[in-house]
Amino acid sequence: MGAILTTDRLTKNFGGLTAVNDVSFSLEQGEILGLIGPNGAGKTTLINLISGAFPPSKGTITFEGRDITREKAHTVNTLGIARTFQVVRIFSRLTALENVLAAMVDRKHKGPWSLVWDSFFRRACALTEDKEACATADSLLDFVGISKYRNEQAGNMPYALTKRLEIARALATEPKLLLLDEPSSGLNPAELTGQIDLIQKINAQGTSILIIEHVMKVIMGISHRLIVLHYGEKIAEGEPKVVYNDPLVVEAYLGGDSDAQH
Amino acid sequence: MSARLRNILLWVVALAALILLPQVVEDRYFMHIAVMAGIFTILTLSWNLLAGYTGQLNLGHAAFYGIGAYTSAILAMQTGLSPWLGLFAGGLVAALFGLMLGFPALRLSGPYLAITTIGFAEILRLVAMNWVDLTRGSLGLSGVPLLTPIQIGDFRMQFYFERDYYYVVLAAVLFTLFCIRRLIGSEFGVTLQAMRDDEAGAQSIGINPSSYKLAVFTISAFFAGFAGGLFAHFARLVSPELLALHNTFDVLTMAMIGGLGTIAGPILGAVSLTILSEALRSMEEVLKIDIRLIVYGLLLILTILFMREGLVGVIKNVWARVKGDS
Repeated sequence: MGAILTTDRLTKNFGGLTAVNDVSFSLEQGEILGLIGPNGAGKTTLINLISGAFPPSKGTITFEGRDITREKAHTVNTLGIARTFQVVRIFSRLTALENVLAAMVDRKHKGPWSLVWDSFFRRACALTEDKEACATADSLLDFVGISKYRNEQAGNMPYALTKRLEIARALATEPKLLLLDEPSSGLNPAELTGQIDLIQKINAQGTSILIIEHVMKVIMGISHRLIVLHYGEKIAEGEPKVVYNDPLVVEAYLGGDSDAQH
Repeated sequence: MSARLRNILLWVVALAALILLPQVVEDRYFMHIAVMAGIFTILTLSWNLLAGYTGQLNLGHAAFYGIGAYTSAILAMQTGLSPWLGLFAGGLVAALFGLMLGFPALRLSGPYLAITTIGFAEILRLVAMNWVDLTRGSLGLSGVPLLTPIQIGDFRMQFYFERDYYYVVLAAVLFTLFCIRRLIGSEFGVTLQAMRDDEAGAQSIGINPSSYKLAVFTISAFFAGFAGGLFAHFARLVSPELLALHNTFDVLTMAMIGGLGTIAGPILGAVSLTILSEALRSMEEVLKIDIRLIVYGLLLILTILFMREGLVGVIKNVWARVKGDS
């Protein structure tokens, strides 16, 4: 199989605060890797580093054998990494369908000028006129189970469903690796089950997944392996059951030191 | 009646009314106002393309207007280039400046971009003031040639009067409108709207925001330069005053009051404020104060406080209420 993503001694400082400290790990091809840790452990920062939202202070990130440490977010995406956000970042004034279509526009990396050209000299210049793209987008909306919101403005959709829309949008970029930042936060128990199914379905299609999650039912149920961050450092790694009973992890969560007691 | 048919009908009626207008109103002063309203419509549409659809505040838009006006005027006066080509040459040179300014400036955003663009326009205004050999400084270039007559078979159209220019500007507005509608309705436009709604979200799906902003900045500059050329051959006088900050603020006010990020908004704003400003001009002579600026400022504040979506938003709300009642 081999690793699809490797980070080596990754560190991020924000002023005096070290949000991610010397974190090395590998994500295997086809794996679902869970990333857990108490609030403020640096989980989201780690995903931001991998997705190119900002560069690390030290260390390297390798994706499919290529160094992507300094690549910008849009380049990282075109290389095959898509992500969702802890607080959804959908295009609220576009419809659900357009949200997904927007992710397919620049797939051929043609850039703005060729799109400007297209808008004058190509027949099917409007997104919704591109039958093939629409069919793909529709199948993605169906895949995540929000077809009936197809023509709804994304800003008017229920929150739980915008999380699914974000996943559909990410999938439209045909990622090899999907980074999910708390896909289950704010969902009710019934929705949780649906979310687990969805993530497993995505993984079954061959997409590797790195997932941050606080809901234990979700993370224990779907992760092949877990990594635990605490104060920016990796304190445990391994099979979910083993990690779950690791004394260091229990201490981090239940508060073995005075800092975490409140 | 289907919505599509109704739309087409509405367009045809509006267009017919606009074409017939000079036949009904013969007043030259009124036609002059109509031409200026058209030129400001193009300026406002182009400014709004950047501000309304990408959220970038360019406060140096008047510079592109001025560049277009000077380019077209100088080319016609010194090389004898046809003013018709000059209009597009003015647009292209403005676009080139837009590209050069946008490349470094669009790394900035918010107030920093605003300050940079103000600086750009001020520098160019000073260049226009001081490069006397080329621009005749603060005197400006007077006697800019009129648009040359068009002859197709027996049909000959000359451009002497305001009403002749009215048709040129009407065609120019329609051309601009067509281009901008095309852009906004296309994949390119959806990408812009995605960026405007959430830039980080757009980046996460592989969109490079700075390259798109640069493209829009350049296109926006093109149409401003185009409008500048129209002005030059209509007013026949080009002076550094065209590049002054207050012109940009007029455009900004028109876009805000009409409705930012819409296509109808800039048209409504430009036409209504051009007419209003002429009405206020006559009051100024009586009152002896610069009442126009006071009214503009007041309107802008009221818009921001009470009608964020501008006149377009107000019309939409009223329409929805009327429909709801019936």
